[in-house]
Formats: sequence, structure tokens, C-alpha cells
Amino acid sequence: MLDILIKIVVFGTIVSGIWALVASGFTLIFGVARILNFAHGSLFVLSAYVGITFVRLGFNPYVAFVLSLLVVGLFGVVIYRLFMAPIREHEVMVIIVSLSIALLMEQALLLSFGETGISFPSLVKGIVEIGGLPVPTKRIIALFIAIIALILLEYFINRTITGKKINAASQDMQMATLVGIEVERIFMLTMFISALLAALGGLLYSQIFAITPHVAVKSLIYAFAIVILGGLGSIRGSIIASFIVGYILMATIILLGARWSELIMLLTIIAILIVKPSGLFGVEE
Amino acid sequence: MKAGKVLVGVILIALMIAGCAQQEPEEAITPEEAEPVEEVKEKIVIGVIGPMTISEGTAEKRAAMLAAEEINSEGGILGKEIEVVVGDTKLDPSTATSEFRRLATEKNAVMITGGFSSGVMNSMMDTMAETKTIFLADASSPGHPAKVAEDYETYKYWFRISQNNGTTFAWDLADMIDFFNNEQGMSIEKVYIIRDEHIWTDAVIADLTPLLEEKGVEIIKDEKVPRGYATYDVQLTEAQELGADIIMPILAIAGTGDVLAKQWAEFEVPILLAGHDLKPIDAEFYEDTNGAAEGEVFLADGGVLSTAPPTEKAAEFLETYREKYGFYPESHQAYGAYDAVYIYKMAVEAAAEAGEEDPFNPDVVVEYLEKYSPESPVELTRVIAWYDNHALVWGDDFVRNWISQWQDGEQCIIWPSNVATCDFKVPEQVSG
Repeated sequence: MLDILIKIVVFGTIVSGIWALVASGFTLIFGVARILNFAHGSLFVLSAYVGITFVRLGFNPYVAFVLSLLVVGLFGVVIYRLFMAPIREHEVMVIIVSLSIALLMEQALLLSFGETGISFPSLVKGIVEIGGLPVPTKRIIALFIAIIALILLEYFINRTITGKKINAASQDMQMATLVGIEVERIFMLTMFISALLAALGGLLYSQIFAITPHVAVKSLIYAFAIVILGGLGSIRGSIIASFIVGYILMATIILLGARWSELIMLLTIIAILIVKPSGLFGVEE
Repeated sequence: MKAGKVLVGVILIALMIAGCAQQEPEEAITPEEAEPVEEVKEKIVIGVIGPMTISEGTAEKRAAMLAAEEINSEGGILGKEIEVVVGDTKLDPSTATSEFRRLATEKNAVMITGGFSSGVMNSMMDTMAETKTIFLADASSPGHPAKVAEDYETYKYWFRISQNNGTTFAWDLADMIDFFNNEQGMSIEKVYIIRDEHIWTDAVIADLTPLLEEKGVEIIKDEKVPRGYATYDVQLTEAQELGADIIMPILAIAGTGDVLAKQWAEFEVPILLAGHDLKPIDAEFYEDTNGAAEGEVFLADGGVLSTAPPTEKAAEFLETYREKYGFYPESHQAYGAYDAVYIYKMAVEAAAEAGEEDPFNPDVVVEYLEKYSPESPVELTRVIAWYDNHALVWGDDFVRNWISQWQDGEQCIIWPSNVATCDFKVPEQVSG
């Protein structure tokens, strides 16, 4: 029994760390700019392709990793400026447009790279044992990176002046404008951070697993489910929900079999939402 | 207003890209583009149908195109030049049916080849019957030849060309166990199976289970995984805990055999990874897994490996393909599509030689294709012959899934001995 518990905790924690990054980015831009960015999963996938392209061009994998983050972050800003900013006030339209962008990106990646899975090269090698369970070092590093990124995000949002401006804009956009905050600039910065988080998740995921253009849909569904469970707009809620989802997934795979994992996860989320419709940390409007 | 313009713009771009994606295959493949036609010749149209955004479809398209070019350069079929047209199934039964009908009725294709995926094939077989089009087909479900056997007059136009019937996969896997136990002195008693949650693997397991039982081999776990599954770490750890002697993937639809190989290597699992996964057949698999494929044993579905061609024609085809496209066939479906064009030509020419009034008549062509039986096979990239139900004949001297292995970044066949190109090597992490 203890060995099963160790497996659920160890494997679940690592996967959850990555989903926490993706979900935090998704909920951040919604919480601040009220944008439900359905192209968020595409940014997650894009980072792996951009990173691989840099590696194939001869860049050191560490440099390629950082460049990919920046490129995808900036790409997120471009998407925001060109397509989302003009229609930001129309939430349904934002959903349709971002969904169109996601489909467009999926087609473009399929045409450019095909359907074969790609993996970003491992930055570290080796295995460590945790409670008698062998775990590749790169997974530990991935979790470590994810935790640091989430701590930095929390610090940035709550402790820095810019973060406080983001908070202010998310709470009352008109009031924030009145007190001199350049809201549009804040939204662009938020989109950059949101895309950056998706990109970081994508790069870590592609190192451990592999990415195809179709993974965009899966990652979006996961992010969306997690964010709904955590409460739309709540970063802390998303992080906690990521771990809940990760552990449910892992426990189901281990105890019932892989084929049941996503079904059980979604049923659990529905059950929680029936009890608490605003999600675990959501605020009822 | 501004918002509306943006939305219209995005939708237009999306439509343009989708349009490009659909049109690309046909634009890319008309043979006449390669060599300008000096005089107007009568043409016959051959169709290729498959999922054109993935390797299975593109390989079929490129291979059929190559065969058509070669045949055209030697005078075509009975003096008629071949024109190749392409349909994209998008792996969707409804789209596949429409595309098949378009090729057969609007483009007047006399023969269509391709059709990856059993579910998609099912839907196309009825359109084939309705349009009476010769269909030299892909996919491996036993259900397809069963239709031919049950209702011959309706479905006789269907012949499987790419690979063997799905039931033979169980025979190949059972032979694999025998090879390890009898010829390599191993003691495989416990098998951990990871397979697609899909109907095709149910048929394989139904046949494999009694075969393994006869050998005293136990299936200690039979784990089904959904499409896109990636968390193989759990199964790999469990296989070790259960004392498995071999981890046997039976995967195609999951599409994540690369992830399995990666995690098998990363976790340094000291158990042989050997089974029937479509991914390791790809020539690029080693690179795709950053070398994690080293030591994996797999079945060379379709009967050809680019590094170990079983016939002279296969060797020639591989080099010509690489010369033309810059790489070896990206999927084993290429051999089937290439052979399809040639065998169709041979059947039509044989019919003409025998004095048939209309050698292109599908009913006549069926008659001549059926002459390629176990007693009188034809050697193309593989040795082709058909059973009465139009499934490919399985066997060491015909088409079968050769037991192969990734060794030092190369694929090689380890069994049977008449085609083997290397000896089995125990992976380092297993011998360890």
C-alpha cells in the first residue's frame, strides 16, 4: 500500500507541477483581462517546436530553451495586440477568435512538422531513487523549475509594484485607469507572462513526454478543467487544483488502469463543481 | 465593428490555411509536372487515399506517384499514361467516403490505393462496392477480408496490399516469444502487455492468449491505453514489480510509442521492450526518441525495412524514393502503394494479353488479380499473393512482420533466418 502511495505522490507531483504552470497562465490572463484564451494550449505546444527548431539550427539546448520562452512570450503579446485587444470586451468573440487561432496554429504545425511526436533534448541525465522508486533526474529538475516559476509568479503578482498594478487592473479596470495605470500595457505584460508560463510547461512536458500538434487540445482541456476546479481567475486555486487533478489521474491509472484516468478525473471535477459551482477558490459574482 | 473585422480576418485566414491543407496533395503530385508531356495521350487515373497530414498518407501518395512516373516513362499501361489523384481521409470515416466517391466518380479513378485505419476502411468499402472501383487497400482488420468472403460479389474489388491480416500479428508475436526462448536461450514466462484501447488489439489478444498459454507463458497484465497516452512510467514500474520478463506493446492508434521508448530508456527498465508498435518501424524513430529506441524489438509491419529490403525491387524502390524525396519511406504504407500501381498494371496487361475485350473493366481486373495466389505469387517490393478472401498471404516466403531490432541506430531483421540481417543483441539496460 505504501509503495502505491509513493508512486501516486511522486509521479503525480511531477505531472501536476507542469499542469500548474499551464493552468496558472490560463487563469492569470482571464483574471486580469477577462480573456478566455483558447489558444493557450497552442502556445504550450508551440514552445516545444520553437525550441527544437533552435536546437536544429545549432543552438545550445539551454540557449534554445530560453530563446523559445521569449519567442513564445512575445508571440502571445502579438496575438493579444492583433486579435484580442480589439475585441476584449466581447467575451464570446474572444473565445471564438482564440479558438480560430488555435486551429490555425495546429494546422500550421501539422503542415510544417507533421504529426510525429517531438522531444526537446534532455538537459540532464541519470536516475534518483525516491522511496525505492526510480525517477529520472530531469523530472525532478522539471518539478523544481515549475515550483520556482510558481513562487516567482506569486511574488511578482503580490509583492512588486507592477504586480500590484496587475492586481489593481484585475479588480477594477476603470478605477485603475483613473489612478494612472496604463491598463493596456498591463494587459500586454500579463499576456506575456501567461504565454511564458504555457511555454515553460510545454518545454518541460516535451522533455519528459513528447509533443505533437494535437497535444494542444489536450493541454487546453486540462488547463480549462483545472482552472474551473480551482476557480476562474484564482492562481492559487489553479495550483492546488493542478495537484488534485494530477493525483486523481495518477491514482486512477495505478488503481483502475490507464483507460479510466481522464474519465474519472472529469467526473470528479463535475462532482466538486456540483457541490461548489464557483470552484474551490473562486469568488461568486 | 472593429471586432467584427478582426473575426472575419481570422476566419478567412483559417479557411485559407484549411484550403491549402486540402489542396496541397493534388497540386503536388501530378506526374506531368515533372516531365512535360510532348503529345496528348490517353490517360488512366489512379487514386491514392489516406490521411495526408501524417506519414502513412504522405508515404502512400509519394510511392504511388513514383510508381506512376516509372511506368509512364516506359509507355504507361497499355499505352495510356497514368495520372495520380489524391484524396484526404483526415482519418474521418465520413470524409473518407466522400473523398473515395470523388476520386471514383468525378476523377474517374480506375483503381484506388491506400486507406489507412480500419474504421475508415469499413466506411470506404461500401462506396467501393457501389462504384465498382478496384481498391488495393491498407488497414489490417480481419473484418475487411471477412466481408469479401461473406459477400464476394459485392466486395470482390477489395484486395489488401499493405500488410497482413490483423490475426497474423498474434502469430508473429508468438513466434517472437519462441525465438527468444528457443533460439536465444531466454526464459520468457511473464508478459506485460500495453495495447491500444481499440478493436484491432482485441482481435490480436483473442488470438495471442491461447497461443501463449500453449507455450506456458502468462500474460501478467493486459493494460489498455487511450489515444495520446503518455504516462507509461506507471506501467514500466509495475512491470518490474510484477516480475515481467518482457514488456510487449501492441500500439498503433495511441501514437505514443516514442514516449514509451523514451521512458523505457530513461527509467533504465531492465526488461526487454519487444512487441508490435508502429512507431519503431519509422526510419526516423531513433532520432525522434533521441536514441532511446536502441535495443527495442519490433515487428516490421508490411514486410520491408529500409535497411533490409527483402527483394531486388524493394532495394531499387528504396533508393529511387530517397533520391526523389531526400529520405527513405516515412511509413511502411509506401511499399503497398508502390506495389499496388505495379500489380494493377500487370493484371490489366495480362487481361489484354489474354484477349479480354475491356482489360480495364473492374470485374475483369479482379479475375486477373486473383491469379496471384500462393501457387503463383509475384515478386515486387515484397512477394505478393492473395488468399481467397483477398487478404495477403502470410509466411516466411511471402509477406509477414519480420522480427526486427534497433541496433546502433539502425534497424535490422533478427528473425526469420532466411531474411535476418543481424543477430539479436540484448539491450545494455537489460543485460546490465
